[in-house]
Amino acid sequence: MYRILVYIGVALLLLGAFAFGVSLWEGPTAWHTDVRTFWGIPISLFVLWIGLAHAGTLISAIFLALGYPLGRRTSMVAELSTLCSLAVAALFPLVHLGIIENFYMVVPFLDARGNFSNLRSPLVWDFCCISVYGLVSLLFFATHLFSEKFPDLKKLIRPMAWLLFPLVLWVHTIVSLDFAVTFVPQWRGAFFPLYFIAGAIYSGLALVIILLTAEHCRVRVLEKLMLGLSWFMAFFWLWEFLLKGSFSFEVVFLGAVVPQLMWLRVIRENAFGRLLVAFSVLVSLGLERYILVTPSEYNAAEYFSWTDLGLVSFSLGLFTTLFFVFRAKFSSLLEGEDVVMGEIVLQQDESDKESEKVTLPEKNDFSILRLPLLIGVLVTLLYVVWAVSVENTNLAPLSVVNVAPLCLPLLVLVACFTLCARPLWGISGKRVKLVCAVLAGILGCLAGAFWAGGSSDVSSGVVSVQEVDSPKTVEFIWSSRCASCHGQDGKFNEKFVREFYPLPQKLTPVRLDTLGEDSLVKVILDGRVNMNPYRGRVSEDEARGLVRYMRHLAGEGE
Amino acid sequence: MDAILNALCCLMALGTSMFLWHRPVSIFKETGILALSLVVFGLFSYLTVDLSEPSLEYMPFRMLALCICFSTTSLTSHKTRYLVLSQVLWLWVEFFGGLTFVYHGLDMPWTRIVAIGAGAFGGAFLSHISREMEFLLMVYWIAVWMFF
Repeated sequence: MYRILVYIGVALLLLGAFAFGVSLWEGPTAWHTDVRTFWGIPISLFVLWIGLAHAGTLISAIFLALGYPLGRRTSMVAELSTLCSLAVAALFPLVHLGIIENFYMVVPFLDARGNFSNLRSPLVWDFCCISVYGLVSLLFFATHLFSEKFPDLKKLIRPMAWLLFPLVLWVHTIVSLDFAVTFVPQWRGAFFPLYFIAGAIYSGLALVIILLTAEHCRVRVLEKLMLGLSWFMAFFWLWEFLLKGSFSFEVVFLGAVVPQLMWLRVIRENAFGRLLVAFSVLVSLGLERYILVTPSEYNAAEYFSWTDLGLVSFSLGLFTTLFFVFRAKFSSLLEGEDVVMGEIVLQQDESDKESEKVTLPEKNDFSILRLPLLIGVLVTLLYVVWAVSVENTNLAPLSVVNVAPLCLPLLVLVACFTLCARPLWGISGKRVKLVCAVLAGILGCLAGAFWAGGSSDVSSGVVSVQEVDSPKTVEFIWSSRCASCHGQDGKFNEKFVREFYPLPQKLTPVRLDTLGEDSLVKVILDGRVNMNPYRGRVSEDEARGLVRYMRHLAGEGE
Repeated sequence: MDAILNALCCLMALGTSMFLWHRPVSIFKETGILALSLVVFGLFSYLTVDLSEPSLEYMPFRMLALCICFSTTSLTSHKTRYLVLSQVLWLWVEFFGGLTFVYHGLDMPWTRIVAIGAGAFGGAFLSHISREMEFLLMVYWIAVWMFF
């Protein structure tokens, strides 16, 4: 069975591999985009797979933390699906970026490279949060997996579940902020965090049901939850319609109507019936993500190129291959030939009963977590104090709101590693200890580099200040320094408005007159709120020339 | 939003919370009631408030969070745990909703957030929740909703 699924996965992977290669080679021109659609299929797939990645661990951790553990097989399948989905999701921002070799610039190492990552951008939060989530999920999975061999690890699972429970919700909330903080009308929504979390759990439940069906296993409680969530998703879609007038019949039909077939005994008692419903949910959520990410007035899906379809095929193939290869091969290697991962197979009806009856002792959870949490809180406080007080960021000062999104991931990361360090050290062999020591050293160096940051003085080799000797020179400076945000014609760069944050000011004659020349020169040189300071890169004469050029552009626009 | 609408919101949240967690507790019943409550809150918001006002676009979800907070007072076991978790949910809705407003040039509702956070933090230390304490908690939540 697993072999067939691996073959299917490899076939899909190979079908999509060429599209993946072309996308890497050509960059964003390879897939469908237009004036209004800057984030095409790669970001849609990223949002879909990251949702699926959050759901697996979330399902396992929530049930465990609240004292209703799922069967081992169900939990392990959910957690493994998380890791595989995460691996798939991580590829698509790279594809979208177009310049893979510069991806490391998202890492907020201050401006040591002379290029500071904007800590106020959700895209940077995304990178940090998802990285932490990946690490902690891997640790959780490994602890869970090896807990059968090393009983000492069992006592760590539930405290780790308590750490993962808020983390996973937090991380998906941050993903939703990629959209919610922009000015795109279709992405307006203070409710997006809940909307995204509900969507992630919904699609994740569908995925876990599909994977469990492949295992000839069934957990009714997950099916009931999926049906219950379909009602919530129906409300979210209704609310989107009431709020913005956006509605997609396909999404609602596949995601809210088809799941109601589970009320029919003939469907829910049949493996193919369950698969039909679960696939319908996944297709609906996939479509919904695509429609959300590509807010066009026309149906963007009609303009799908072969590359778009190839990337979808690639993501499905990669996930299927990764999941079933690991499931079929490595699990038996890890736990002995006669035992497959999740050997405590809960039969269909028993699993429900067991999940309802079994509750774990919880008195020790807090005492185990106390010290790691305390250390995590201290480190997080240090980070907040440092981030808010740091001055050489080459940007406007950060506020608590800007640094808060990274607080919980940092707390959980520190707490989780503190929690696991001692037990894992105790059971590790010499080689593993050596690898861990080297990794810890590298991590320490990275933390040191992060702490040290770098000079915010711009290298004279990179930037040369020019004298303003003609209008052509000012126009050149405007094009190189200002147009990326304010637009070549001073009326915004549409791409900036859609992809970055926040909205720059409109340069109308009235506004320019109100502010006055001196004031505007000061803004250019010293920055203001969301405007970066350009002192050292632009001389005062040039700034004055730019203000006059702005006035010229504003006059043209009138 | 004026005081009457705020009071109506609290009343509706209180009303719908009465249907939750009655024994026997079942996934279908509870999710069904929660989803139905959400529909009621959504229609109420759509009909009564101006949804072009950004700060009201997550109104039904705030009402749902308040409803869940109210409902935890009727739990018979693990009351403290779920009381804290429900307030954390409310805090979550308010904080991240507020964060999106900051990026749109509006103010973060810090007073409300601190008040809910204080409630959640304080609630964690309640070892026994008497009837009087339940009443006080509900009054506190209504006050947070109405005045902050």
